Amino acid sequence: MRDPIACLECGQLYGYRTLSAGETATCVRCGAVLYQGRRGMVERALALTATGLLLFGLTNAFPMLALRAQGSAVEMRLFDASIAFWREGFPAVAVLLFLSTIAFPLLELAALLVVLLTLRLDLPRSGAIVLYRVLREIRPWSMLEVFMLGVLVSVVKLGDLATLSLGVAFWTFCALIVTLTAIRAVLDPLTIWRRLGREPAT
Amino acid sequence: MIPAGAHPVTVHQAGLLQCRVCGRLTRPPAAYDPGLKLRCPRCSAAIRLQQGGNSIQITWALLVASAILYIPANLMPVMSVYMLGKGEPSTIIGGVVHLLKGGQWPLALIVFVASIVVPLLKLFALTLILVTIHRRSMWRTRERALLYRVTELVGRWSMVDVFVIAILSGLVRFGGMARIEANIGAFFFAVVVVLTMLSARTLDEHLLWEAHEARAEEEEA
Repeated sequence: MRDPIACLECGQLYGYRTLSAGETATCVRCGAVLYQGRRGMVERALALTATGLLLFGLTNAFPMLALRAQGSAVEMRLFDASIAFWREGFPAVAVLLFLSTIAFPLLELAALLVVLLTLRLDLPRSGAIVLYRVLREIRPWSMLEVFMLGVLVSVVKLGDLATLSLGVAFWTFCALIVTLTAIRAVLDPLTIWRRLGREPAT
Repeated sequence: MIPAGAHPVTVHQAGLLQCRVCGRLTRPPAAYDPGLKLRCPRCSAAIRLQQGGNSIQITWALLVASAILYIPANLMPVMSVYMLGKGEPSTIIGGVVHLLKGGQWPLALIVFVASIVVPLLKLFALTLILVTIHRRSMWRTRERALLYRVTELVGRWSMVDVFVIAILSGLVRFGGMARIEANIGAFFFAVVVVLTMLSARTLDEHLLWEAHEARAEEEEA
């Protein structure tokens, strides 16, 4: 078997071959995705990652929601929501929320930017390899999409209670979620690993 | 789908080692040395010589801990709504019922699935997978692998209730007039989500297939 690869989920062996764009190789035994054929993956992901970082910055800079009741108003930024549990007396939960909505998403985008730039500019690989490993570890703990659902549930819950207004950051946040989803759809982990290891890849 | 070559074999059967981080294959060293630390030539992550290791025990421990904490997470109030000084604590299920009474059933359904169905599904799915590995079951291995993948994927969505509590308590702060406070149940609930996510992650999914292969070889012999 030339250029052997194995399914990461069940260990079944296959021979690597280049796929045409849009094609997906699936494991015949367990059904997991092995890799996908992608054209211009690095360039597209790079553009999306830069967009993501910009949107992330804007989302943090502006208020997301504001609540008005009888003359007084409370504004909430992403950061305020992430540390709300601190004031409530649960610092551990506040740390968890800060990590999953601010630190990890930022680290994920920044690490991805470095990895993609390394591939695009053909720089020395060692730093990018470490970052890509870190990125794979933190991905499940980066929960902006889940936070988005939480925002929507809160908006509906508060709707009948008080006057709620959506801030600029609400809209940049929606755009950020779309961008993050697009990044995950464009990236193919095996292709990235093979290019980081300077092996032939799609 | 790609052609699997003349005779499909596994990493295990071919006597190779697979890096679990990047998937790169390597040959094991000729002489086994327990003190030797193997590193992946591509991503330099540590490669385990012994398949599986103690992943099963850690998964069990985390799973049992989360099953125990699941009880206070559901029985204790997760937040209290204070209106004109009068407090009204509510549990996770209470929140769903409140949404239903308000006629917001699509939202009630989302919260019900994310907060109640998903954690229970994770506890049952992981227990089923662990027990079948112990019994070296060959029963629907492909479906069990799919169940594992789904469990790992949907786990994080249970955090939605914790986020809602953070947003509500961060926004509704009007002193004596109206105020929303987070309660201890939310803490337990967050811990349950984290523990079940860790539990799913520490389980080595290859064990499903190794148990399957072991039983197949046994039956052939």
